[in-house]
Amino acid sequence: MQCNYCEWRCELNKEKYGVCQMYYAENGIIKERFPNRWSTCNISKIESLPFYHAWPGSRSMVIGTAGCNFSCRYCSNSFIAREDPQKQQAGMFEFTPEELVNMARKQGCHNIVFNVNEPTVSLPSLIEVSKYAQKMGIPMGCLTNAYMTEDSVEIIASIFSFINVSLKGMSPKFYRNYIGIKSGDPILRNIRRLATTNHIEVTVPVIQTVNDNELDEMADFLAAIDRDIPFHVFRLLPEYQMKQYEYPSITVINDTLKKVREKLNYVYFHNFVGSDWVNTICPHCGTEVITRLSLGCGGDRLLEFSCLNNKCQECGQEIRIHGEKINWRSLEVS
Amino acid sequence: MSIAVIDAREWQRTFDLKTGASVATNDPTVGMVKEILARHPFPGDVEIAANNWVTDTTLDLIEKYDPQLACVTYSMPYFIFRFNEITAEEKATVIASVFREIHRLVQSSGFTPVIIGSGSLVPLKGYIDLSRLDGLAVASNWSTSYAGIHNPSTRDLEYIDNLPQVEKTVTKEDLLKLFAGSKEEGFRLPDYFVMAKEGYTYKAVGTTLRKPVRIPGHNYFIPVATDLGEVDSITQIRGLVEKNLPQKKIAVIIIEGVGLEDFPLPYKRCVNSVGWYFYETGELQFFAINMGKHNFLSYPQGYRYHEDDDEKQPYPFSGYFRDIPNDTIGAQMGLKRIAVGSRSMLTHATTGADICIECFARNLSNQGLMAVIIK
Repeated sequence: MQCNYCEWRCELNKEKYGVCQMYYAENGIIKERFPNRWSTCNISKIESLPFYHAWPGSRSMVIGTAGCNFSCRYCSNSFIAREDPQKQQAGMFEFTPEELVNMARKQGCHNIVFNVNEPTVSLPSLIEVSKYAQKMGIPMGCLTNAYMTEDSVEIIASIFSFINVSLKGMSPKFYRNYIGIKSGDPILRNIRRLATTNHIEVTVPVIQTVNDNELDEMADFLAAIDRDIPFHVFRLLPEYQMKQYEYPSITVINDTLKKVREKLNYVYFHNFVGSDWVNTICPHCGTEVITRLSLGCGGDRLLEFSCLNNKCQECGQEIRIHGEKINWRSLEVS
Repeated sequence: MSIAVIDAREWQRTFDLKTGASVATNDPTVGMVKEILARHPFPGDVEIAANNWVTDTTLDLIEKYDPQLACVTYSMPYFIFRFNEITAEEKATVIASVFREIHRLVQSSGFTPVIIGSGSLVPLKGYIDLSRLDGLAVASNWSTSYAGIHNPSTRDLEYIDNLPQVEKTVTKEDLLKLFAGSKEEGFRLPDYFVMAKEGYTYKAVGTTLRKPVRIPGHNYFIPVATDLGEVDSITQIRGLVEKNLPQKKIAVIIIEGVGLEDFPLPYKRCVNSVGWYFYETGELQFFAINMGKHNFLSYPQGYRYHEDDDEKQPYPFSGYFRDIPNDTIGAQMGLKRIAVGSRSMLTHATTGADICIECFARNLSNQGLMAVIIK
């Protein structure tokens, strides 16, 4: 039976689990191998995930499962995403959707964000979580590679109100050599689709001399959809199978971003500690409206929010923000 | 103003350590430190070259700053033993590498060493699942033996009591009594505090995604090697060093992940505990060594560390540390002090030395380096 969750469209049966190793087929139904098993349910700042334009200052409960449908040579979470999901089960949390959402409440979290691996590999569980989260008034977001079918993208759009899509490249050659898929066309299609109904931010992990020459093309693609889509350019750390590569030059990559900044209103360059390019600048008058500090991988934090009612206080320009500024402690449970 | 110098490889920036605000400075000490950082890129937490990095960087800083005291931490053994499946032969190679580098440091600098093994690791036997309580269980990323329980129900306490992998459960009041603290000092303490049996760790909020293969053992004693004199407890090291500091240049060297059975030099068995509580390698043990007293109540394991972590939290480069201690080894003696370590955050946050250089790594991701110049 053919899986319809992601664009691999793997042939599944009781013993064939597909590229992601997370589904099987039985009695004409595609089922999850490990429903309601979570690799993490930790607290994080929303800026560090990163979402720079959704619920600023909020406390997110980060969840993830195991497995992935990509084979990125530079995967920073390979110890989860690239390991056999079966072998990871002993260390997994087992929470029903209700328990997971209640855990977010107990930890004083304002939202739940699926991070770590790819949500498409755990969609049935996430559908159930979203039903309860919606009932409890907790918004959900995710990070995704968006390599999913048109049916799945509708599900993703209904579960997650804010989404960060990792656009890893543009050329088929790049996707073949570094990600292990034939083409990024479904990803572009899904970004267009998600941008019509959901808050999206887009992240590109940059490998110097490999995909930095595609940044302009990415910016053109995004600008044609919406110039206000926040664009995160990540300095990729040499990890996993690319561990021996040089660290990308911050100066060189920043130079290549000059044209990108003319095309898009919110361009950030980070994933390294102390970045100069993590603040939000009003696209109309140039005033700094949100100040952040980059602590590198998974550590960005809000320092100052000067964007009352999501508008620049100097010129009144509306700043693209999904939700509103949240006080970190507002849901603390004593 | 204390300064943080960030080096993300071929790219450096300076910040106010306390606020995180970017600052421009022509301070010659900052310039000197920037040059040292540029000369010594960090190889990575689990790379054997990290041991060479500690020695090379320390020697460079000693040459430029001429300190009387150097606090030096070699953490690579801990990280590789914790996360990698390694053979006995590989383990021996790692330990030999560290001691070779310590020998080089001592020979080249002429400093008198106090060498401390922070305790050995044992194979992970299994997990204690505290994730499904009515209350909230908190275990921090790097503490494996202890967890805090907040607002437990009667059902939770019965469940924990019946867990065969739990060594001990005590109340907040028991902890206050153990560490001789006042009620006010204990406001961060969890309602209950759980200690696991050796080899077991927790599934609870805050536990790391990266699963360990070994975790710190119940090291009630750790090895300390020095010619300076006798110490019985880790809190006595400060006094011994300060007694000798005016006459000697001293290096206090901590090797993380090495305990009594693997320590290759003659050593004194040193108490690494308070009653039933033993120190795991990490900030509380480092505080006890550097401050000469127990500092458990400031950062108790199992506390809800995330609650402090809003935009107003000072020292954003220092993780969950809320200040830099000023009553540390040698601090009252008016001597020049440095700290160098392959341990992020703890190097500066537990020594308070004039100049600290450490790797900037999070969860084994190598971001580069940070130096802290404390004023």
